[in-house]
Amino acid sequence: MTKRLFGYIALSIAAIVLQKFLDNYASIDSISPQLIILVAVYMSLREGQLFGMGGGFLVGFVNDLLVTHFIGYSSLLGVIAGFVAGFFYKEGDVELAATNFNFAWISAITIAVTQLAALPIIASGELNYFYVFLKFTVGTTIYTTVFAMIIVFVKGRKSRYV
Amino acid sequence: MYKWLAEFFGLAKNYIIFALLISLSLLLISTNNNGHTRGLQVVGLVTTSYLEAGVNDVLGYFSLSSEVKKLQLENAHLIDQNAKIRGAMEENRQLRGLLNLRQQSSYPLIPGDVVGRSADGGRNFITLDIGEKNGVSVNDPVVSGTGLVGIVSAVSENFSLVRTLLDVDSRVAAKLVNASADGLVVSGSYGELAMENVSRRYPVQPGDIVETSSLSTLVPPGIAIGMVTKAENRPGDIFKKIDVEPAVDYTSITTAFVMKYSRPAEATKLEKEHLQKEK
Repeated sequence: MTKRLFGYIALSIAAIVLQKFLDNYASIDSISPQLIILVAVYMSLREGQLFGMGGGFLVGFVNDLLVTHFIGYSSLLGVIAGFVAGFFYKEGDVELAATNFNFAWISAITIAVTQLAALPIIASGELNYFYVFLKFTVGTTIYTTVFAMIIVFVKGRKSRYV
Repeated sequence: MYKWLAEFFGLAKNYIIFALLISLSLLLISTNNNGHTRGLQVVGLVTTSYLEAGVNDVLGYFSLSSEVKKLQLENAHLIDQNAKIRGAMEENRQLRGLLNLRQQSSYPLIPGDVVGRSADGGRNFITLDIGEKNGVSVNDPVVSGTGLVGIVSAVSENFSLVRTLLDVDSRVAAKLVNASADGLVVSGSYGELAMENVSRRYPVQPGDIVETSSLSTLVPPGIAIGMVTKAENRPGDIFKKIDVEPAVDYTSITTAFVMKYSRPAEATKLEKEHLQKEK
């Protein structure tokens, strides 16, 4: 477990650094892939709902400190992502849920739910809720899901050659 | 009783912990503007700023050495040189604007380089490599050669975090120069700004200039914010819907000035006294 824990810490650090890079260079009209959510989903699918929520909260908090500078926002997304993805956790079937194409669609559902839950915070002071929904909820869901699919595809190709 | 509680916690522990973590996150969000949380923001800002400044230095070093190589192969890299000349022209234009601003401004200006940008979930910040040590404080306005960039949101000793006008929480009192109408500039759609609270009786046309209003307590009047791109009256709405193209290009800004502006103390005092009397 200790080895896996260090693995998750390394994964989280990599995700936060990459998130900063994506925010700076790959955001489209303030929309960028939410890697923190993907990390929370991954942890939840591998270790269960409780671990996913706790991990999502901690990774989100560090991400808020270092990337968004809006303390509490990514933590909230991380907890919700861990909670939602936890429902897809199967104790005896960890590899199936966390590594193949299932990861992409579970991530898509989780991101959509997470972004919907965060909508009141994102849209604070904004009158046009539908526009904010289209831009932040739909936009972020699509962008992050595409990213999740790329990860699954790359991982699939790598494991084929190993 | 204890057994029952233990059983209940065993069954509902995930939901209880979920509720606790959500409450904690919401509490953190609600306290974003208080001193303790701002302290946390500053810690994060300092950490990332040093990292980003380091990365920028490394990238700068490599770009300089590659430039020397390119100059040695001058004839083979004419196209690249053309691109460089265009870049230099753009930089020259920006610097001329900044110089002009510095000569015209009656308020002290502190120059700083942009060392980081973050745009996520409607938040839009830039990081400058100047901080408390240089005299920057929270709520100072930040300008470039072309207009208002934003307001300082957090400051550390050597860096400052600037909330740009594109941030969802940004609100700046503004004025339409031609129509002489006051309103509020907020973030709009697709990298644009929007102007709110302008009555539909004012004639507003695309191309009208928007600048900071004398009603603002943080920003001096007369600083360019942008230009109206679209103005329309919506049925049932007493206010106009106005889209504004920002005067500042947030994607390419490399240098900015923190403006040391404080509203005349007499005006603030008079307003306070009047409000107390009214109460």
